[in-house]
Amino acid sequence: MSIEALPVESRAALSAGAGDLRRQFLRDLVHQKAFMIGATVLGFWVLAAIFGTLVVQDPLAQNLSAINQAPSASHLFGTDQLGRDVLARVIVGSRSILVTAPLATLIGTVLGTVVGLSMGYFRGIVDDILGRFVEAFLALPLVVTGIIGIVALGASDTTLIIVIGIVFTPLIARTVRAAVLVERDLDYVAAARLRGERSLYIMFVEILPNVLAPITVEFTVRLGYAVFTIVTLSFLGFGLQPPTPNWGYDISANVGAVTAGYWWEVLFAAVAVATLVIGVNMLASSIESALDAS
Amino acid sequence: MDADRRMLDALRHERSELENHYIDELASGRIDRRQFIRRGAVIGMSTGLMSAILAACGNANSSSSSSSAAASSSGAAVKGGSLKLAMQAPAGQVNPLTVSDAGGLCLLAQTGEFLAFDNNLALALQPMLATSWTPSKNGSVWTFKLRPGVKFHNGSPLTADDVVYTMQALADPKNASNALSTFTSVLTPEGVVKVDDTTVAFHLEAPNGNFPYLVSSDNYNAIIVPKGTDFAKWQQTFIGTGPFKLSSFSQNVSASFVANPDYWGGPPKLASTSFQFYTSQQPQILALEGGQVDVIVQFVVQGAQSLLNSSSYNIIKLKSANHRELSMRNDMAPFNDARVRQAIALCLNRPGMVQALLDGYGEVGNDNPFAPKFPSTDTSVPQRTQDIPKAKQLLAAAGHPNGFQTTLTTEQFEEIPALAQVIAEAATKIGVDIKLKVESQSAYYGKATYGNSDWLDAIMSLVDYGDRGVPNVFLEAPLTSNGPWNAAHFKNPTYDNLVKQYVAAIDLQTQRQIAGRIETLLLQETPIVIPYFIDGLTATASTVHGVNPTSIAAIYLKDAYKTA
Repeated sequence: MSIEALPVESRAALSAGAGDLRRQFLRDLVHQKAFMIGATVLGFWVLAAIFGTLVVQDPLAQNLSAINQAPSASHLFGTDQLGRDVLARVIVGSRSILVTAPLATLIGTVLGTVVGLSMGYFRGIVDDILGRFVEAFLALPLVVTGIIGIVALGASDTTLIIVIGIVFTPLIARTVRAAVLVERDLDYVAAARLRGERSLYIMFVEILPNVLAPITVEFTVRLGYAVFTIVTLSFLGFGLQPPTPNWGYDISANVGAVTAGYWWEVLFAAVAVATLVIGVNMLASSIESALDAS
Repeated sequence: MDADRRMLDALRHERSELENHYIDELASGRIDRRQFIRRGAVIGMSTGLMSAILAACGNANSSSSSSSAAASSSGAAVKGGSLKLAMQAPAGQVNPLTVSDAGGLCLLAQTGEFLAFDNNLALALQPMLATSWTPSKNGSVWTFKLRPGVKFHNGSPLTADDVVYTMQALADPKNASNALSTFTSVLTPEGVVKVDDTTVAFHLEAPNGNFPYLVSSDNYNAIIVPKGTDFAKWQQTFIGTGPFKLSSFSQNVSASFVANPDYWGGPPKLASTSFQFYTSQQPQILALEGGQVDVIVQFVVQGAQSLLNSSSYNIIKLKSANHRELSMRNDMAPFNDARVRQAIALCLNRPGMVQALLDGYGEVGNDNPFAPKFPSTDTSVPQRTQDIPKAKQLLAAAGHPNGFQTTLTTEQFEEIPALAQVIAEAATKIGVDIKLKVESQSAYYGKATYGNSDWLDAIMSLVDYGDRGVPNVFLEAPLTSNGPWNAAHFKNPTYDNLVKQYVAAIDLQTQRQIAGRIETLLLQETPIVIPYFIDGLTATASTVHGVNPTSIAAIYLKDAYKTA
């Protein structure tokens, strides 16, 4: 049963209740230390991605007579094997990942929601057929599937976004399907059917708003995975092309230098990856806790 | 001094015109003792004769270099013992016909031997299974005399029949041998002829002044095997004539060998050797640092600074013709204008590249394949240096005053992605925006034929070339009009003709004259850019002595030993 089907007084009471829940959710969220830390870390990297080029040196500028220099006043994070400023590459490197990871996750979430809604709502043969595809997809290692997709389509930003989005689709579909299975048997869905609403209307207007909470949690969790997957693919040489600053590629290109004592060429990029993944995961965890509480 | 001169005159008396040519070159100082030994060996002069000539020329004391570096020692030799080595894993089956990778060729050289040995440490071609070789007057027929008393590991004696069988198999197009990259248009199976039980003659398709190199360890497939050998099953026995015999071989894991007591040169100092296979360099370095292995057969500078910066290891550095080649499509705009190609070449800071990318372990290139290590290289041709104003002028004159955008396609291999980035950065100085496309080696090479390979089809392509003893392959395959690896699509009849003349020339002076003309032509046309030549590097523990590596990643251990 949707809110429009209720008497006006009941609708107002429910709307007020929904508003209270949102306020309660936000209160719970901002009172969590994990959320504040996660938001701060993510906010730092977002600012770095937007304004980084204004405050650091040119991340592409090479100086072949100043290669592998240790951190110093002129190069706070040192220089790499081509004499480029490591700080600049780490800061500007956040740009590509903060574009590709959210877009890829968004694609995966949208597609996964559509598939999950269809599977959960229709059940029967639709659920069986799509379910087998989802299971088959989930049986493949994430990175291997990603590599196959990138090799088939050719490495580029767009390919990376599409491939990771598609790889995430079955994962998100499975979560959405489980939530829809609970909702589809509730009275408001039955009422909508009695009113003669079309299936698409029931799925996207009636059920979808009620499963937004798990979808939101899934989006934030997958965002962390997306960051890690992109870095892994870049490390393996399947990501963005050099010389674009790129954490995964820079770690891969300089990893041999660690044994020679040039630790700074890898450490700072690795720390950047870790902070971003941890920050996103803290956000995801705190959103989930706040949703559960409210 | 007069006595020396008289002795030299006496030595000249019965020498051929070609041998006297090299004696003149040495006496006049146009070649040094090392080049004399190298060239003398190519035309079959004996070691004794060369020593006598060097003595007469006042070089007696320095004439014994040969393989001294290989056998150098800082302690007393310990008989017996085992040496453990780390090497690149063979890419596939160890088949003498088809091996084309560093791991495979290294294993071939552990039990197999060649007619001649290109000793990279001594920079000299030395007798191995052949004791001498002589060319016909125009260099179209080469006759090799085989070493007597040589036995294969199965006990059968080495005869001319074995050499003919091996060489005919390698030169036969039906076998798709990897050696065909060397023998095509040089040698056919019918050209390998047994003269008698210890003599083999090679009748060549065209005169070739450097043919002994083509049947030496340089042509790593050319180990001599017993007549009737099934090459596909060779890795079950590893039968050859070398100082070590197979003990065990485990695909993708390891190989071990034991000393051959019947070796024609006397048994080796080591009792056994053991090779561990690795797929990347870092574990090899860690294994050497941890004492699990005594030697890394070959390594590159990237990621190996801990070895290079340490005094705990011996680093053997070999001058090499190993290089990187940037080709620009001569048949496609904007690179169909030589001025554009020259402009790209003039952007590069070559000494800076050698220092930054090779840690100084290399030499600058001059956009032609004549590496400094080749005696025939004409060093009087001016070295191209960075000149940004001139590059801008050339680009403007070619109709690109504001530069242009293009794509450089290359492979994920050693320092090549870093080199591509340096080239792209350098090109920005003249307004050329080079986008990079770095691919896996399999994607980059494709089928390695025109129309099916990014390497050969891309508008700009950057590829690696391994070492060779002579520049013939570098001059022909990537640059002649019908060369199979002509990624630049360079077609120049004058060049083709010069290369034919160079390959046919027997004496060094003629080779050098033609080399100078080729170098000058390539500087003018700039179909390719060769920014540097890379030294071959081998690392050993400080207790290891006498190893003799080559810059194509083989290693010879006959004189190797360990000290406590």
